[in-house]
Amino acid sequence: MPRPDVTALRNKLLQAGISPTYVRRTVRELNDHFEDLVDEGLDAGRDRDAAERQALQSLGAMSNVAAAMRDQPQLKSWAWRWPRIAVVIYPLACVAALPVVPIVAGVQHAESITRWGLGLVLEAFVTATMFLVLQLAITLT
Amino acid sequence: MAQTNPPFMSGVPELLLLRLLEQQEMYGYELVRSIRTVTGEAISLGEGVIYPALHGLERNGALKSRRKAVAGRTRVYYGLTAKGRKRLVKLADDWRRIQGGIESALGTPAHA
Repeated sequence: MPRPDVTALRNKLLQAGISPTYVRRTVRELNDHFEDLVDEGLDAGRDRDAAERQALQSLGAMSNVAAAMRDQPQLKSWAWRWPRIAVVIYPLACVAALPVVPIVAGVQHAESITRWGLGLVLEAFVTATMFLVLQLAITLT
Repeated sequence: MAQTNPPFMSGVPELLLLRLLEQQEMYGYELVRSIRTVTGEAISLGEGVIYPALHGLERNGALKSRRKAVAGRTRVYYGLTAKGRKRLVKLADDWRRIQGGIESALGTPAHA
């Protein structure tokens, strides 16, 4: 089934420094456009395979889309446009996020962490009981 | 079929997009169809490359976009901003000036 190769396009655009927001939007809009073209072909009486092939041809080569995106410097992510600032900001942001991330993750996964903690307590209790029984068996024999 | 994106087409897609969006909001597929209709199929864009053009214009503040659910699909509709209207006026003036110059040149017999 012919479809536009949006995975390769996504990778090319991200490698070229295009903002992820615009990469996602482009991929989504191209997919929607492709579906509209297929519907148009089906309405014109083509079978699905022929309609998809025609839609792919009308949409054009994804390499042309990638080239057109690369020609728009304003679509690049800010880190690509101002790399020196990014080099300073990113490490500082990581240092600032370090103490916050475990707290946020803990709150988000509170239920799992509680179950995991209770599991550990139960496991420790069972192990301690087994050791106690073993110790009593040794002492009494 | 008309040739797509020849070198002299620079600036034409932008002018057409702004002109069409001046009248009403549209999404990408609608815009491509409208360009074909209003130009009498003289201009046929590679359909996928309309999105980089739209995103570039939006990023420059000439267009604004909004999502709208239509018939079970979420469309991104584009519309003109005040900055886009000014840009359209400028591009249209430039185009008329160039068109006048070309027509004048074509109408004048060449000298040996």
